[in-house]
Amino acid sequence: MGGGIAAIVTRRPLLIKSARNAGFAVCVLIWLSISSLAYLFVTDNFSVAYVAEHSNKTQPLFFKFAAIWSGQEGSLLFWSFILSIYVFSVLFTYRGKHPELMPYVGVVTAGVQLFFLMISNFVVNPFNVFGSPGAGAAMNFVARADGRGLNPLLEYTEMVIHPPMLYSGYTGFTIPFAFALAALLGRYPGEKWIHLTRRWTMIAWCFQSIGVILGMHWAYVVLGWGGYWGWDPVENASILPWLTGTAFLHSVMMQEKRGMMRVWNVWLVFVTFLLTIFGTTMTRTGLVSSVHAFAQSPVEPWFYAFIGIVFVVCFTAYWRNRDYLRSDNQLDSLASRESSFLFNNLILLVACIAVLSGTLFPVFSRWVQGTQISVGAPFFNKVNIPIGLFLLFLTGVGPLLAWRKTSVESLKRNFGWPALLGIVAGIAGVALGLRNFYVTVCLILCVFVTLTILQEFFRGARVISARTGSNIISSVVQLTLRNTRRYGGYVVHFGIVLIFIGFSGSAFNQDKQMDMPVGAQMEIGPYKLVHQSFDSIPETNYTSEKATIAVDHNGEQTIMLYPERRFYPSNEESGTMVAVYSTLKEDLYVVYAGRSPDTQVPVIHAYLNPLVKWVWLGGIVVVLGTILALVPNQQPVLAFNRATEPIAAGPEQSPAPLPIERRGEP
Amino acid sequence: MTGTVITLFRKRRRVAALVMLAVAGVLISGLVYAQNSDRAKRVGSQLMCMCNCNQILTQCNHVGCTMSAAMIKELDQRVQTNSSDDLVLQSFVQEFGTKVLASPPAQGFNLLAWMIPGIAFGAGLALVIVVIRQWRRRFELAPAGGPPVSSEMLERARRQADQETDD
Repeated sequence: MGGGIAAIVTRRPLLIKSARNAGFAVCVLIWLSISSLAYLFVTDNFSVAYVAEHSNKTQPLFFKFAAIWSGQEGSLLFWSFILSIYVFSVLFTYRGKHPELMPYVGVVTAGVQLFFLMISNFVVNPFNVFGSPGAGAAMNFVARADGRGLNPLLEYTEMVIHPPMLYSGYTGFTIPFAFALAALLGRYPGEKWIHLTRRWTMIAWCFQSIGVILGMHWAYVVLGWGGYWGWDPVENASILPWLTGTAFLHSVMMQEKRGMMRVWNVWLVFVTFLLTIFGTTMTRTGLVSSVHAFAQSPVEPWFYAFIGIVFVVCFTAYWRNRDYLRSDNQLDSLASRESSFLFNNLILLVACIAVLSGTLFPVFSRWVQGTQISVGAPFFNKVNIPIGLFLLFLTGVGPLLAWRKTSVESLKRNFGWPALLGIVAGIAGVALGLRNFYVTVCLILCVFVTLTILQEFFRGARVISARTGSNIISSVVQLTLRNTRRYGGYVVHFGIVLIFIGFSGSAFNQDKQMDMPVGAQMEIGPYKLVHQSFDSIPETNYTSEKATIAVDHNGEQTIMLYPERRFYPSNEESGTMVAVYSTLKEDLYVVYAGRSPDTQVPVIHAYLNPLVKWVWLGGIVVVLGTILALVPNQQPVLAFNRATEPIAAGPEQSPAPLPIERRGEP
Repeated sequence: MTGTVITLFRKRRRVAALVMLAVAGVLISGLVYAQNSDRAKRVGSQLMCMCNCNQILTQCNHVGCTMSAAMIKELDQRVQTNSSDDLVLQSFVQEFGTKVLASPPAQGFNLLAWMIPGIAFGAGLALVIVVIRQWRRRFELAPAGGPPVSSEMLERARRQADQETDD
């Protein structure tokens, strides 16, 4: 970091190169550090406190790796590790390029790395060892015979992938933040930093989306309360930077196309980064009560100090260089893409404020009133459902509005049929017995948005098909590959529609809980559950109680489900293993909830959750769409075709070639 | 002699394993009451579990919860007394304080929690309107350059730009 500052001040090429190499060296050292921790886990080195607390001898190798980020100390080092991959990639990709910008980028990323490395070195060091006083002032290493093992809630394949994905999202936003701050500090000309960081932002956003979706799925199949989103503060922390990051990905197009909203975009990036740090603070410090959060921790003041420093640096940089961000914003018409992006940003920011204020309100209440209050799912659902539906509406409207101005004729052409069919779907839903207002609105909007997306693909493909003579499917592929960002974006929007379909299903959730001795039956919806047997099974590193449930669907035996609870003696904790029979229509979700205190009979809790699978499918589509948007556009190439009629005059007698457009050919 | 020691050792191991299994059984199973009434579920979804897990009472099933089972049993009993939902909720508030409510009551300082999203939306909307008006004024005041273009031509150019170059 010092080298980078010296390089900026002196502008000496050798110092710039040296600072860059120092950046590479830091990354390599962090990789060595995380490799050492992994080695300690794999070799069961229980003289290291962190290893002893989060692993044991019987733990499968796969989970020994997962244990690296399962506790506070390791997860913060892991954060530095992921960040170092980004920093290394950025420094390597732009080595020798953008000499006015990159030294600043190096300093900002080094500053962030410095913070996390200071915490890992001086506050929560994962390499602390057990010791006992020896002769004189000496300490002897003491190794435990075995460790406590991984938290059973984390012994799940998805949980091995979820944190790295989420961390890749969180840390990834450091890159656009570093470029934005660097461009501001260095008064880097034009919108180039936006072009440079677009892909990095999308990569971070993609990882954040994967992390959030995996977290939802993990909560659904592991925690066993029947849902996937409980508005827990730690869940909320993961969605906050996602919301502002989404706003940035949209509003940045205004800067690229029209040079507008420069100040707004810079602050959106700053806020997104601050929210990633704030989210980590909530997870680490127990600021708010959460089943996920770590207990009160020594890192708390460090995080607050870092947030304060980052804010002061950002504000000072903005204030001193605000004239650099001045732009001549003009709006031709209210019915334009620009205004739709303004509303999109407004709604995303309102959603962010609603979630953030709700999450922190118990803390404010404690400070102001001295009393503790709770802000749970009923509050968040009531506030966020209308916001979400408005956002869904904008998802359909925004892309169909033209830049600068959309004519009335164009509005009719683009929105007429989708709006009409959406309303028809809503009326049909009500006629078929739909009585929930929000679900009906959601149905109308889902049909509307899907049709607008399909219409966009169809219209573009028809033009290509007319020009090239290729069939409509091949034209859709060509169209998409020609402008991956635009059509990848549409795919993402379609994924969001699928997720909303899944969300709307939760309005019709049913559940039933009853004492079920072996042989007992329970009916829920079209399913009949028969408790066939109940076993206690000792396994290598846990003991389980497992119910065997035969499931009949409309009178036909469909599947056997095995809900269980496991007890891990090494850390005296237990975990739920939910059994789920999932279809596109609904999930039958069965939990062995424990034993009745009066009768000692197993209690089975069954849920019928409609449309949940659509949420996971939507998540996959969102991720695929983002990956598609990251693929470089295919450039059109000219191929030549012989003219059907000879040209009468001209120096050459051979028929003149007519250019036709072909794609994907050399 | 050696045989007797081995047999004793094996017996002890077997007893220890059985004891462990029994302890595990108690710890695994937790103690849950089957909750049958729909009304109890509805009222329970407006209450928080008081074990500090920040989960809705009827959804709290996390490992080691010391509160939810007893609270659900209490809820079932209070619902059966035929008192209104509000009275049942109030009885929990009296016992645990306002923290037991899943949403902040819309009164006093807590009303602010409900108002913040609306205030944010209102303020944001006002800002967007001001910004749009300002940008529109700038556009109207901006000097037109180049030769005059007919509205049909402009519309055609816009449509073409829409179709081909839009992003």
